[in-house]
Amino acid sequence: MKSLDAVRTAVVAVGQTEHGRRLDASMAELAREAIDRALDSKGLTLEDIDAVVAGNMEMFEGIYLVDQLFVGALGALGKPLYKLNTGGTVGASTALACYHLVASGRHERVLGVGFQKQSDGSTQAAITTVGDPVWERAVMAGAIGNFASMASTYIAESGVTPEQAAKVAVLARRNACLNPYAHLRMPDITVEEVLESEMLAYPIHRLDMCPSSDGAAAIVMASEDVAGEIADQPAWVHAVATVHDQQYMGDSPKRLAVMRSLRGAAAKAYSIAGIDYPLRQLDVAEVYEPASYALLAMCENLGFCAMGDGGRLIDDGVITMEGQLPVNPSGGVLATNPVGATAMIRVVEAASQVMGLAGEHQIPDVKLALATGYGGNAWTDIIILGRQRPRR
Amino acid sequence: MARTGKQTWIIGLGEARSAPKRDDLAINELAWEAISPALEDAGVALSQITGAATASQDFWDGRTISSMNVNELVGGTTGSEAKVAADGAQALAYAAARIADDDQHLNLVLAHAKESQGDPHAIEIAAFDPFFERQLDPDETVLAGLQAQQLYATGEFTPQHAAEVLAACRSRSEVLEHITAEQVLASPLSASPLHELDRAPFIDAAAALVVCSDSMRQALKAGGVRVAATSSRTSAYWSQRESLHEAPLAGQAAQEALALAGWSIDDVDYMELNTPYSTQQLIVAKALGLGGGEELVRRLRSDAAINPSGGWLAGAAGGVAGLRSVVRMTRLLRQRPSRALIYSTTGLCLQSHHIVLLESSAEEVSR
Repeated sequence: MKSLDAVRTAVVAVGQTEHGRRLDASMAELAREAIDRALDSKGLTLEDIDAVVAGNMEMFEGIYLVDQLFVGALGALGKPLYKLNTGGTVGASTALACYHLVASGRHERVLGVGFQKQSDGSTQAAITTVGDPVWERAVMAGAIGNFASMASTYIAESGVTPEQAAKVAVLARRNACLNPYAHLRMPDITVEEVLESEMLAYPIHRLDMCPSSDGAAAIVMASEDVAGEIADQPAWVHAVATVHDQQYMGDSPKRLAVMRSLRGAAAKAYSIAGIDYPLRQLDVAEVYEPASYALLAMCENLGFCAMGDGGRLIDDGVITMEGQLPVNPSGGVLATNPVGATAMIRVVEAASQVMGLAGEHQIPDVKLALATGYGGNAWTDIIILGRQRPRR
Repeated sequence: MARTGKQTWIIGLGEARSAPKRDDLAINELAWEAISPALEDAGVALSQITGAATASQDFWDGRTISSMNVNELVGGTTGSEAKVAADGAQALAYAAARIADDDQHLNLVLAHAKESQGDPHAIEIAAFDPFFERQLDPDETVLAGLQAQQLYATGEFTPQHAAEVLAACRSRSEVLEHITAEQVLASPLSASPLHELDRAPFIDAAAALVVCSDSMRQALKAGGVRVAATSSRTSAYWSQRESLHEAPLAGQAAQEALALAGWSIDDVDYMELNTPYSTQQLIVAKALGLGGGEELVRRLRSDAAINPSGGWLAGAAGGVAGLRSVVRMTRLLRQRPSRALIYSTTGLCLQSHHIVLLESSAEEVSR
């Protein structure tokens, strides 16, 4: 359902840090680096910002109320400050909150920032606490264990091969070579190298998995009244959607093969944006893929191909930079993963593609871009951005 | 000034039985104890709920993404839940934004905290700067003591005043024993000049609302109390504030909310001020323009329209207090056409200020 009441809203400014092991900056400095880059890119100052939304997983670095400690760095002094921590989705949840705060008419210009400095903490230890303390923590430790379990069921359901998954890992790290902000840039990586890398948990090899990064990303969203004054080419929000699956892994055992939350969110977002054939109508997608297998499963569930045909997408080059629908020209999560910022990076990259700001990894003539966030209990956020102001 | 969107209505209320230790149930069961009556009150089934806004803290739940504890209880499975790590009043503000932009029409708002499960000192020290402050072993009470020192140094208020205000709040509590100002002052010092009883006890609590758009309210033929406005402001981190004994941004947040609603402070019939320390009642009340000195203390002590349920000091939990007050105030507003202001806070020494304004009309009350 397309709303007649919502204020049309756009991403008008984006910024991100160089990601990786950032021993040169504190977490607050990383957040501010991304914010300053977003503001400076359009000649904005913090005076122009009405409210701030911050996304971060605070147990990773062990700072309770991190938004309050960093309130100055986040540019939120004297303003409304919303703090979200929704897991892997948090950057996208932050972007969606920015959208709602503008689209509702409550604010005109809202700053959203996702940040994480994983080298300061123990991400895997914190992620383990996401599981139920009695039933899940002992057997589903960290992200790797989760994705290994899910990838196994996906292989069984779809017949996807380790070689096809390895091609995804290669594509991501090679795409990242065109992205100056990416963490893992590996121009010479090969399928064989991925398959020979250390087995972390069957079937996930070390190079099948995303890295652990430090970094931050920021956006400014603005109402239609002011968006055009700030950006010559805003990235207009055409649709947003959030859908969850059940909490316990055992309640949805084919979670990667049949991704109910991704399918549900995609169905809602496509309906709002008027997308019937995503492979044809979308020009680029930034998909939150923490593991190589996940990207293929996600492409299936996003409707980029028939269910079970994910392997064909990579074999046929459909999702490469030159393919019919380039997926993750930035290198994606497999190249860069500061968790609190990761899904925000997807939004920043999708917006950059629409705004023509993606530099060497710019896809020509992007009219419609999709970004996703994924995490927690198969929690999915989707945002679709476009060059044209959405019609009523 | 931003445009105001669609209106948000509260049509269902629920509250778990609060107590210092609810070891008879788990966190999600505590939450359900609030959700279930809220759904019943609204006359809707969980399957009708399209999404939710929740408030909880990972550190207190001992679980990253703490809302996963309650996600499926608020209609999140195949639905849409959004979580804020702040007081539940902010979750209500977020839900109102999603209703205003037509993304949602029938939502649950939930705040939960099971403080008996956490180690308060271990959690609170994690809110301090890890390099420069944690070595001093601080916690929230140490800082509130510093704030109280500054407050009393002005000469406007005394420990007796704070104790009297606290005793008034506790006299309205259904959860905690009623105490006198003398008992507060006779309790051991926790961080001079604060006494142990100057702080709200740790509580296991949950509060829930069913909220909806006007069109949904009409479709459901429901009554309702209107969310007239929400607002919030964030102060500097404690060590970067010029003084801790003032809260000008609390006043700014209230003024913005009142302006959005088109009210003045004199239009407010009921008011609840949620603060975890007695001294902070005086700071916030003054910031909201309720007066000062002895006159303010007298008002806080004896005006039945201020803190009618006693607020946080009468037995709530961090993150739940504001939403609990929304529940309590909505009950009051269902009795007669009136207006209410709810203040709540997040962080150390009143860092974030949240305001919710509620209104009921004669038409709604007569339903």
